[in-house]
Amino acid sequence: MSTGSSHHEDTSQELSLLQTLRLKGRATQDALASAAGIDDATVERLVDRAVEAERCTRTGQFVKLSASGKERLAELTAAERASVDHAGLESLYEQFDSYNNDLKALVTDWQMKDGATPNDHADAAYDEEIVRRLSELHESFLPWLGKLAVLNKRLAHYTARFDTAVDKVNSGDHSFIARPIADSYHTVWFELHEELIGLLGRDRASEAAAGRAV
Amino acid sequence: MTVLRLGQCPDAERELIGGKAFSINSMLTLGLPVPPAFVLGTDECARYYASDRKLADDVLTELRRGIESLESTLGRTFGAAQKPLLVSVRSGAPRSMPGMMDTVLNLGINDAVEAALRDETADSDYAADTHRRFKEQFRKVVGSDPSPEPWEQLEAAVAAVFNSWHSPRAVAYRRHHGISDDGGTAVTVQAMVFGNLDDHSGTGVLFTRDPVTAQSAPFGEWLPKGQGEDVVSGRCTPLTLGHLAESMPEVHKQLMESADLLERTFRDVQDIEFTVESGHLWLLQTRSAKRSASAAVHHAVTFEKEGIVTPEGALSMISPEQLSAFLRPHLAPTARIGATLLARGEVACPGVVTGLVVGTADEAEEMAEQGIDVILARPTTDPDDVHGILAAKAIITEIGGATSHAAVVSREFNRACVVGCGEGSLMSLVGKNVTVDASAGEIFDGVLEVEIPSKDTHPDLRVVTEWLAASATGCDNPLNKILAAAH
Repeated sequence: MSTGSSHHEDTSQELSLLQTLRLKGRATQDALASAAGIDDATVERLVDRAVEAERCTRTGQFVKLSASGKERLAELTAAERASVDHAGLESLYEQFDSYNNDLKALVTDWQMKDGATPNDHADAAYDEEIVRRLSELHESFLPWLGKLAVLNKRLAHYTARFDTAVDKVNSGDHSFIARPIADSYHTVWFELHEELIGLLGRDRASEAAAGRAV
Repeated sequence: MTVLRLGQCPDAERELIGGKAFSINSMLTLGLPVPPAFVLGTDECARYYASDRKLADDVLTELRRGIESLESTLGRTFGAAQKPLLVSVRSGAPRSMPGMMDTVLNLGINDAVEAALRDETADSDYAADTHRRFKEQFRKVVGSDPSPEPWEQLEAAVAAVFNSWHSPRAVAYRRHHGISDDGGTAVTVQAMVFGNLDDHSGTGVLFTRDPVTAQSAPFGEWLPKGQGEDVVSGRCTPLTLGHLAESMPEVHKQLMESADLLERTFRDVQDIEFTVESGHLWLLQTRSAKRSASAAVHHAVTFEKEGIVTPEGALSMISPEQLSAFLRPHLAPTARIGATLLARGEVACPGVVTGLVVGTADEAEEMAEQGIDVILARPTTDPDDVHGILAAKAIITEIGGATSHAAVVSREFNRACVVGCGEGSLMSLVGKNVTVDASAGEIFDGVLEVEIPSKDTHPDLRVVTEWLAASATGCDNPLNKILAAAH
């Protein structure tokens, strides 16, 4: 059993792993490593240990959270919540709201030309404009991510995930704007939003009803 | 100077009298029963500004004469404590713009008139509500409390319409859209009529053909003793037009003849608002009816068959978007008749599917693996619902809008999706077979007929294909491209 700072690091990594599993529903170890920002060897070790403790199940190449894994995740989340600067986080979350509205509008515009017309991606200029808006949003969002990383080191990894998605989009792979399951910008955004809601001790349904977590 | 009695100036141009008056004038010129109205032309707006925002004496005189003509047509008196005349005052720029004053309804009311209205309608709530709403609207658009003197109300409202032409928002809007400041706005003053006077009064809407099921018979709603807003707000459940035919056969006959004339004149399916006041029919508004894609195609075919339009005219009744939607699988138009609507929400991703409602992503996956078509119902989607969305034919949620997570994910997977059906509206549907018409945002009980039209066999599509082949614009017509791409 480790002690001191390395114990803290283990707990933090375990939380990241279980949280990522909750958000993904199921995931391969490779996907877990890149989404949780933990190296492959450590993920392997963490998963082995979690399977042994019956917090996860392995089916084929997929890892899935068990009921007791969800309980463990709730414990770890509560502990983390108790240790975080709550006022600082509330103020960050307030700022997040306007970025969130921009991102949601942008993704909807990417998918639909209006309420009834799906974007058939035949108009390159229309698509280019949305890619430009995404780059602009990303640039303006980076300082916010910096502040989040100061507040909670465990979430610092999100900056790299967003960078990767935006790089893919800019290099022409537009599926990294909104494709589910893949770590597209929208997927990462949604997962970050889940982390924030959990860290603040709120729940999705009431956030959705307030027009935010949706 | 231009002050025109509508219905007596068949050649008045839209630029001079504005869109609202133009429409009233067209209907009156056809001899249709429309509440009497007069209009101050856009040139009066320029004159108002030229005389330092004052209404000239001759305009004030014309306002009085105009009101007198409304009074004599209706047998009512402006500002009187018995059988009072109320009017609406509307702006009428050739095109509407934000920041322009729109409408003041029920002008001419004060405490004495409210009492008269209460006695006439035997409805004190209605009279008080009308007065309150007038005061609110007047304050909002004129910027001060209404005088108890009806003539002062009228002059202030007319001046406010002219002033709003130079409101900062209207000016900014014109600058942005490159519209000249010179045009000015017209002011239309029209008599209000009352659908709640007695047992021979009421209000309703009429579609000259059914906009959803595509049937050729007129379709509408009738609310005895109701005012217009009662129908629009959905506060009361209206009756069918058959009830009007039974209680007032002459009025019903006149309504049907008017509807037919309007349809033939404007060569399109009409959506008509009407009021009956003490057995007298009044048409308030007519416009082209919004319609489902199936109805758009079918009505175009019927109009041509009935000789109302040429094939070229019929083609212009179908938009490219409507033809595309028609070619995708959709609810058979007649399937809605008698169907039970279980829930309604916002369209997130169009499409029509049928299936069994399940409440969790895991169930969705398990049942889909057994080959069952499932509809995933969720209060709102959780991150790990993504696999369930992929497995389901459609996703329906209680909370969330068209930019929500469920909406984004369903569009990426091209799954039909209806969001925001209301808290508590869906989870009780688990275990039921339903039909989701996500293109209309509706969820129906049971498995309804879904139509997948083929251009070789669908009779309406064959007609449209023939028109396009014979049309001079055939090749360039965007409909042609859409049809060619379909199988």
